[in-house]
Amino acid sequence: MKPAAFEYHAPDTVEDAVALLEAHGDQAKILAGGQSLVPLMNMRLARPAVIIDINRIHALDYLTPDGDVLRIGALCRQRCVERSAVVEARCPLLSAAIRLIGHVQIRNRGTVVGSLAHADPAAEATAVFAVLGGTITAVGPDGTRTIPADEYFVSYLTTSLDPRELITEARFPVLPPGAGWSWREIARRHGDFALTGVGVVLTARAGTVKNARIGLTGVGPTPARAARAERVLVGRAPSGALWDEAAEAVRAEIDPDDDIHASAEYRRHVAGVLARRALAEAYARTMEAV
Amino acid sequence: MKLEGTNTLPAPIETVWKTINDPEALRRCTPGLDELKEFEPDRYEATLRIGIAAVKGTYKGTLAITDKQAPSHCKLVLQGSGNSGFVRGEGVIDLEPQGDVTLVKWAGDLQVGGLIAGVGQRMLMGVGKMLIGQFFKCLEQQLGQGV
Repeated sequence: MKPAAFEYHAPDTVEDAVALLEAHGDQAKILAGGQSLVPLMNMRLARPAVIIDINRIHALDYLTPDGDVLRIGALCRQRCVERSAVVEARCPLLSAAIRLIGHVQIRNRGTVVGSLAHADPAAEATAVFAVLGGTITAVGPDGTRTIPADEYFVSYLTTSLDPRELITEARFPVLPPGAGWSWREIARRHGDFALTGVGVVLTARAGTVKNARIGLTGVGPTPARAARAERVLVGRAPSGALWDEAAEAVRAEIDPDDDIHASAEYRRHVAGVLARRALAEAYARTMEAV
Repeated sequence: MKLEGTNTLPAPIETVWKTINDPEALRRCTPGLDELKEFEPDRYEATLRIGIAAVKGTYKGTLAITDKQAPSHCKLVLQGSGNSGFVRGEGVIDLEPQGDVTLVKWAGDLQVGGLIAGVGQRMLMGVGKMLIGQFFKCLEQQLGQGV
């Protein structure tokens, strides 16, 4: 399998990359880790006329804690985030979810920012980004702008990014002190895209849930937040019955599709089961944190 | 894969019937439809350009409208192929007058094969739904302006 012919550029700076994007617009694709783009090109489903390889822009290879956020540069590999002690300590949800992306060879090349740019709604990084309420930093011909998670994902493989913009950084907020978390997913085979995945961040105080965030992969055209289930939880006393009620709310508010891997009905069921388990686990972790 | 749904369009049934049988309206409202040529009555040659993100494909094929029972029922038969796969399908449209508006009930069975089906399986149905949604939204806007 070989890709269709394309023009290749490997700029050294963000400015040069943006100039190339401005010149070629939607004819161009950015190449970082290439774990989604290159297979699509090799199968000739994607035939971009121009490839802009950002691997020589060394300034984008960083992972920096900055106050309450983790700043992840566009060249930072998934494996690097997975193995980071800082991420493990301050944002273990991200570490846990990244560990389940594909296989180690894929994570050695693939980047977190690339996964967000590709915007596959089954990708772990997209749901973690949505559940934590991260922001994208993008540079284009008109300068730099930041895009919050809830304005970023539009549909399958589609974001609010302009084709002439390059994502330089993704910011993931760290977990609040004392927060419990959980990432649960089910895939048919190890390394496959999960049928559905659920991420939870929960804080509790004096026997009530103070704040709950639930994000899902694989149940629609974008990573989803289960807003209704989150509202069910806040202010209530944690219990098995409450997790069940929230799981039912998750099932009621998602609208998954059928495909050859699983029916919509099965996905809906699994999403509820995973949400229940994730909530129970996240709550147990808030108790450990105390 | 089977797709079905209902939409309400803001116009009387005769107007809706005329619009969905008007090649120009269909061309404007079908996402990615570049060309639609009637080569015999109710049979069209079409060129579709469909894509999400970098995955774009051009498909050439035919669309036939059969079983016409004006102004409430017709059947669409579609087939096409391109370098990333082929598509074959049948759909049935039923219109029901509801005062000043019209209820459109549609159901279709679409087979997508070749490369795009092998690789894109996970997203085919969702993208199909999204494109049909765009089609009806466009019709809604056009009919809304006409009233």
